[in-house]
Amino acid sequence: MSQQTIDFTLNGVPTRVSVPVQMSALEMIRNVAGLTGTKYGCGEGECGACTIILDGVSLNSCLLFAVECDGRQVTTIEGLASDPVGLRIEKAFVEAGAVQCGFCTPGMVMQARQLLEQNPHPSREEIQRGIEGNLCRCTGYVKIVDAIESASKE
Amino acid sequence: MQETIQKDSLIGKRITKLDAPEKAGGKTRYIQDLDLQGQLYGKILRSSRVHAKIKSIDTSAAKALSGVHAVITAADVPWQRPIGVAKDHFPLKTDRVRSLRDEIAAVAAESEAIAEAALKLIKVEYEDLPILTDPNDSLKPGAPLIHPEPHGASAKHDHLKQAQGIAYAGKPDNIAMTFDYQQGDVAAGERESDVVFEDTFHLHYVTHCCMGVSGIIAEFDSSGNLLMYSNTQVPFLHKREFAEILNMDPARIRIIQPPIGGGFGSKLDIYPFEPITVFLAKASGRPVKLVFTREEEFLASPTRQPVILTLRSGCKKDGTLTFRTVNTLHDNGAYTSWGATTPFVMMQTISSLYRVPHCLYHTRAVYTNNPYAGSFRGYGNLQATFAVEQHMDMMAEAVGMDPLAFRLKNAQDPGEVTPQGMHFKSCGLKECLTTAAEASGFLAKSKTNAAERGKPGRFKRGIGIASMLHVGGGAKIYPSDGCGTILKMDDFGSVTLITGASEIGQGSETVLAQLVCEELGLPMSAVRVVNNDTEITPWDVGVHASRTTFIAGNSAIGAAKKARGKILAAAGKMADLNPDDLDLRGSHIVETRSGKVVMTLAKLLRQLHFSDKAELVMTSFYYEPPSKHQDKHFKGDVSAAYAWATQVVEVEVDTDTGIVRLLKVTGAHDVGRILNRLGLEGQIEGGIVMGQGYALTEELMVENGVVRNPGFRDYKLITAPEVPEMDVRFIETMDGEGPQGAKGVGEAPAICIAAAAANAIENATGVRIMALPFTPEKVYRALHAAKEKEKAAA
Amino acid sequence: MTALDNYVAPTSLEQAVEQLQELGEVTILAGGTDLMPQANAGRVKFKRTLMNIRRIPELHGISREGDEIRIGALTTVAEMMVHPLVREHLPLLASTGDHFASGQIRNAATLGGNICNASPAGDTLVPLMVLGASVELASKPDDALFRRSMPLPEFFVGPGKTRLAPAELLTAVRIPIPPKGFVARFHKFGTRPALDISAISIGVSGVLKGGTLSQVRVAFGAVAPTPVCGCATEEALEGRKLDAATIAAAAKVAQDEVHPISDVRASAWYRKEMIHNMTKRILEDVSANH
Repeated sequence: MSQQTIDFTLNGVPTRVSVPVQMSALEMIRNVAGLTGTKYGCGEGECGACTIILDGVSLNSCLLFAVECDGRQVTTIEGLASDPVGLRIEKAFVEAGAVQCGFCTPGMVMQARQLLEQNPHPSREEIQRGIEGNLCRCTGYVKIVDAIESASKE
Repeated sequence: MQETIQKDSLIGKRITKLDAPEKAGGKTRYIQDLDLQGQLYGKILRSSRVHAKIKSIDTSAAKALSGVHAVITAADVPWQRPIGVAKDHFPLKTDRVRSLRDEIAAVAAESEAIAEAALKLIKVEYEDLPILTDPNDSLKPGAPLIHPEPHGASAKHDHLKQAQGIAYAGKPDNIAMTFDYQQGDVAAGERESDVVFEDTFHLHYVTHCCMGVSGIIAEFDSSGNLLMYSNTQVPFLHKREFAEILNMDPARIRIIQPPIGGGFGSKLDIYPFEPITVFLAKASGRPVKLVFTREEEFLASPTRQPVILTLRSGCKKDGTLTFRTVNTLHDNGAYTSWGATTPFVMMQTISSLYRVPHCLYHTRAVYTNNPYAGSFRGYGNLQATFAVEQHMDMMAEAVGMDPLAFRLKNAQDPGEVTPQGMHFKSCGLKECLTTAAEASGFLAKSKTNAAERGKPGRFKRGIGIASMLHVGGGAKIYPSDGCGTILKMDDFGSVTLITGASEIGQGSETVLAQLVCEELGLPMSAVRVVNNDTEITPWDVGVHASRTTFIAGNSAIGAAKKARGKILAAAGKMADLNPDDLDLRGSHIVETRSGKVVMTLAKLLRQLHFSDKAELVMTSFYYEPPSKHQDKHFKGDVSAAYAWATQVVEVEVDTDTGIVRLLKVTGAHDVGRILNRLGLEGQIEGGIVMGQGYALTEELMVENGVVRNPGFRDYKLITAPEVPEMDVRFIETMDGEGPQGAKGVGEAPAICIAAAAANAIENATGVRIMALPFTPEKVYRALHAAKEKEKAAA
Repeated sequence: MTALDNYVAPTSLEQAVEQLQELGEVTILAGGTDLMPQANAGRVKFKRTLMNIRRIPELHGISREGDEIRIGALTTVAEMMVHPLVREHLPLLASTGDHFASGQIRNAATLGGNICNASPAGDTLVPLMVLGASVELASKPDDALFRRSMPLPEFFVGPGKTRLAPAELLTAVRIPIPPKGFVARFHKFGTRPALDISAISIGVSGVLKGGTLSQVRVAFGAVAPTPVCGCATEEALEGRKLDAATIAAAAKVAQDEVHPISDVRASAWYRKEMIHNMTKRILEDVSANH
């Protein structure tokens, strides 16, 4: 199997890794870079648990080839620790009661981050549409929408 | 230092979850995120036939693959013992496979990729056997037997089976388990009835879809002690069961529970992948981690119990219920798990949801080559309520009463004891009914919608009502339904709460901390909870039956009360005051009436510790609820408290497509007392959406033993834009036994959505559909059939 | 799991088509949103070389060229939805994007990928067909770059199969700017606003003048191995006044002319019923709003 060396920025840090060509970005982030905040939920882009931000747009990292990260900026949930808007969203999730088992939460927070970047003051309906690609089995989404709405109001 | 502190209760407040900040930041390590030094990766080879004899398994090529440390089949573990509720289930299949998920072999290798490659090298020869996929076929004389040989295991801890003489593997038919119950005399009930309905309801396969897939890590240490990182919801039961399965001393088994990516009842039984991983750890001498793929999760996890339920209900012309007769066929699948015992819960609804004097109930769980069912939030109650609450509407209409009045007429009052022996010490059913109906404008809308039915128009509105009854204070099925707590305080006024109760994302850890803080007058930041290591925590039977807040809560309060007593006694002595006049508030000891500060709690603790007496505040308490085991006729007060809810569901039916949109859910929940309002709302909202999925969109399509939609693409969970408007009201009936008066609510919100939706669709269209789910095609076909019937009659 | 052992990432179209000639067996990586799950499920086997075409500038961008809009093959659904040229001239594509999968997938899925994946239920395919789109293809069989184009309906051969030649690349989609009076509708059946593989989808377009529809195009998705032209339905509408009688007749023709299969998503009977009902509704909507 062919290995490729790629250079990219991971959460603001210049990073070089060697990956098999067919490896997904999700596998690279979890198993090669060792960041476990991004989750495997389904591996086929249906649940959003693996959402990351690549060059400013949110994507399912399970669908992205790791080699495509070459030369790009990748942000994972861990990278939001230094992002004021990201931290505001995380805090809003905590305060709104939007976290139960928490497995979908990193993906939700990342997608919310992208949503607020594109649309700083979304309506509730726009928020619901904005997270339509993120599945949650615990919360019924109500408090997740509350949290994103609350974060957008500050 | 403050002069006075007034009482400021935490009860009823919105308390954020203790572990939420870590989870929101992506820092929580679930089982999928844990790695042990030197671990290998396990993978399971599953059957490619639905029902077949295993003629041979050749693992030689797999064993020879570089990086493979162990390849095992049943032949390598001749000492393996059967698992599961009926002990009819060997982890690695011996001579035959009975369903497509059956585990034939397993591999431990240095990477997942190598393990998967090794699986492909294992050659299996099968000889096909006839397939049974309809439980009706399994009962026909001459049907092939799914379990012709006995598995010869003991079941000395299984209360249910002893009581019932449950059919085991080795019997000359395919009946896995039966339940029989009666109260009163249904023949008399029939005679008293002016209206009788009999219908068959079809409840389908759905599956848990926890966002975190199943996983386990098993490791033996140098002395042969076993450590398992497991997402079990019943760690102590599992510890005991694993000891039996592995023929080990239970003292040498330790279970650590990493944070779980969802439970919902999926982790109540032992499933083959767990002992198989232990076998791999033993065979390879290394820790082994095994994690499912999502497809495997769909293919191999237990489902919700599918049921074919025939209900015959009667009432008098004044609306009094007379009898219910129930006959069910439960598709048991290839092996018996908790799904076969759902009749135990269903019979409570049949016998006691509304007042019914006469009841006859007979259920059969029957083997097939289909997937097997486990326990799933609601545990059979969704299925039973779907049938009961549809007949309630039908009978109401037949006797000319509105659906609300009919239900109120038959609703129980606090203090009633049902013929099944359930003592409704607190009961909010009537209040739930009237609250939900009033808040939603049920009666007026129901009439308007019915009037609009015949008129032209593509979209039809409907409103439907349904209630549910469920245990709210545990369920005494195991020898004990209790929970132990150990509590310790340090020199700075912080508490460590060590509880046997598990946190499965539902917020139990936070509510237990809240109850302790309430008792000890502390802020939430002063508590740490330890709940995930069988080596450390005291026994708890596990997370099920909506019992944790009630039972673990009372246990935590018990331990906290003891600590409080000790602290106030010491403080009284030190300050020369009567301990009965003292209180704990804001981390201080104060005079109760005035709020005047006596001393800080921390100071008292240090004085106790560093004095001649040298005492620490450490207490413990085991709470056993005052419920009773049912007798062999299933009668008895099985729970310490019971909970009710009424939900009113509003739908819009698109008659051009059959698409049913859930517009609004108005719910009234008898919760005893609101403890953590934030957590409570979260459970209700999540439960409603789970119920919505069960009613409208989710269906595990099993055809000829094959799961046709093992993925989120074609197994439709509810997504954010589909969620209805919700108006949830809480009824506080202040249960005498409950912690601060609270009752359990974890399962309740999912239970009556489907029933209410069925009634709503009938209100909108005049068509009653008795099979789930209400997918567009199913609804469209029903509407179409009704139209054709009308045309033919005209 | 795969014979994949080579990776290339050309940075120009010429380089790409040259490499395609040389390397022979190549799996193309565009957005990857279909490639990864299909490969993981074993439905698609990687060829020896993975060619990442995302760094090729000629494949990006949306421009107006004469009386056509040219959309580069690597345009993502998200980019397409918000582009001023699309919003002004091809609003049908903007609204199609809004019902495509999820935000995350829109950010990655490309128009070219959706077309080459040739799913009978592919979301952009039916709208593109009723907009009269054609595909622009490029290869380099000898020394010079060779381009050809083809109307979209002709491009599809079967599920997952197109007329793309082995060493050919799809470079762009070209859509004629609609004339005055042009109306177009796309309806995708589903219970969700977006994240749904539709049981059926319908596209209708034409020029509406004085209540009469002409230059009619009708296309159906998920009722055949490829997205198909509703030719009989087109005939039932062409040059006729769009009144209740015409609409009822056209809906019946539509129901009769499709021959869908039954699968996990829907039965054949239901698909035909939905084609009937939704065609009727779409045409009623056009009639009511213009």
